[in-house]
Amino acid sequence: MNRRKAITLIGGAAATAGLATPALSQNRKITVGALRFTSHSGSFIAFERGYFADAGLDVELKFFQAAQPMAIAIASGSIDYAVTAVSGGLISLAQKGAVKVIGGALSEEPGIDGQKILASDAAYKAGLTSPKKLDGKIFGMSTAGSSFHYMGSKIATAEGASMKFKALQKVGAIIGALKSGQIDAWSIVPHIAKPLAKSGAAHIIGNVSDYLPNYQITTVFTSARNAAEQKGMTGDFLGGFSKGVADYNAAMIARTGGKDGVDDMVRLIHKYVYADRPLEKAAPSIINGTMRLNEGAALNLTSIEDQLKWFQSETLVDADVTMDTLVDTSYVKTIRA
Amino acid sequence: MGPDPDTEETDIARQVAFRGGGFAPTPYRWIGLAVFVVLVGLAEIGTQSGFISPLTLPKPSDVLLTFAELYDSGLLWTHLAPSLTRLAVGAALGATLGIGLGVLIGLFSYIRAGMVPLVAAIFPIPKIALLPLFVIWFGIDEASKYALIAFGTFTPTVVATYGAVDNVDRTLIRMGQSFGMSWKSIVRKIILPGAMPGILSGLRISLAIAIILLVAAEMLGAEHGIGAYILEAGALYNLERLFAGVVILSLLGVLLSTAIGAIERYVLRWRT
Repeated sequence: MNRRKAITLIGGAAATAGLATPALSQNRKITVGALRFTSHSGSFIAFERGYFADAGLDVELKFFQAAQPMAIAIASGSIDYAVTAVSGGLISLAQKGAVKVIGGALSEEPGIDGQKILASDAAYKAGLTSPKKLDGKIFGMSTAGSSFHYMGSKIATAEGASMKFKALQKVGAIIGALKSGQIDAWSIVPHIAKPLAKSGAAHIIGNVSDYLPNYQITTVFTSARNAAEQKGMTGDFLGGFSKGVADYNAAMIARTGGKDGVDDMVRLIHKYVYADRPLEKAAPSIINGTMRLNEGAALNLTSIEDQLKWFQSETLVDADVTMDTLVDTSYVKTIRA
Repeated sequence: MGPDPDTEETDIARQVAFRGGGFAPTPYRWIGLAVFVVLVGLAEIGTQSGFISPLTLPKPSDVLLTFAELYDSGLLWTHLAPSLTRLAVGAALGATLGIGLGVLIGLFSYIRAGMVPLVAAIFPIPKIALLPLFVIWFGIDEASKYALIAFGTFTPTVVATYGAVDNVDRTLIRMGQSFGMSWKSIVRKIILPGAMPGILSGLRISLAIAIILLVAAEMLGAEHGIGAYILEAGALYNLERLFAGVVILSLLGVLLSTAIGAIERYVLRWRT
């Protein structure tokens, strides 16, 4: 090899390396908020497998106990991106010009095990064996304007039932109230629903997807400033996040890697979810919690629109909030289903 | 002897000005109001000019508007009635039991020896942490809310009461004994009136704690109530409603404090 050839080779290698990392956000430090739920796996996988780093982002994961403080942290600029359910609080923050929904995360999909409708043991024994019998029952929720409130209300409307809602602030308190029969019914993600049903404290009486077939449960969101002014960085984040989501769907839903693929994925997620339990005990819960994450962070606009309308009809949020205030559709593919 | 025998002041060498007075609170009614007005005015100017973002603080005028809507829609009473009931029942229970036990601790050494460590042990327990337990014990409805508020007001009342009994002037008690007063008579005529100022200032604190706990009590399963209203506003990030609710609690606090002031003036009229 002569000298000229060697230089061309080195130059070529340098050029390829330069192409692999987007010039816009080389090693930008960003903070991503997450809850210790399997539905946040997109961020965990992208972080662990270096997809964020490949996108030129130096990500720090910051953990929260609940969705509400996370939304406020985004609004105040303490964190940059996060995943959360559409709630009255999120819409209000969007209306104040603080946050924007930029993509989809967890969604119901017919045919895939999704959120369950639960009846307390006492109510079940008294005849609450199907969502058709919800009339006059008490439904648990965290707060007014939460996703539980939305689901319960939608199910009630579909069944022509009139229910009372009880706000109990925390998921733990709702589970306690369900076990002791202080509330009659609740809806929750499968990895919480199934163990409850197994223990006999509650009974699964239906699927949320029967009522809200393509329900966009959680969304990716950021501050309005990031969405409007940091287009490069936001695009890079969604790129890395989507790769994590693709890995998750492939391993856990399509099961392209077979049992080994699932085990690998569970081991990765276990670093973040149920980390206080040994892997053998955590694995069934993590596998039970498997639900579709939107490929490419695609966003189901029809579902978001329906949720916004419901929040407005209950006067939980202002009537003049529009879809444009809530959602920035310039980043991901949108779905109408 | 002075040079002028006509005046009577000649006997006095030097006039001394009155040195008493002071160290007694004088009521200036309007200054408190002025402080409020200035603070709210500053907030209004700040939010109107955009110096304070709508995310940081709502416009005071919007809060007032929200309050007016709440009043017009009749929802104010829907929320206020259950809260006031919870406050009245819970605080009355807690304060009565607290004063009762506090007086007993003050009077009887055996009860003091047994109860003071127990009260000291339960005082620092955050009552909110026990809320889920209360729901199991007393059910999710009103009883658990009464219990939480009662429990929260009980301990500070006990501590204030036995402190007040301890501080009753011993010389007065000795005097009563010298005059041959019966034990009952001493308790009724010397100890209880003497402890009253301390008990009432303790009540000011306990009742403020009762208002604080109202929000906690309404965290679990309350459909209506000022606390539930505030929590819902917080979850929806509706700052106007949040502040309207907080203002109602503040007003409640001012009202209760005024009421105790009136009781103080009545019960302690022997002091002046």
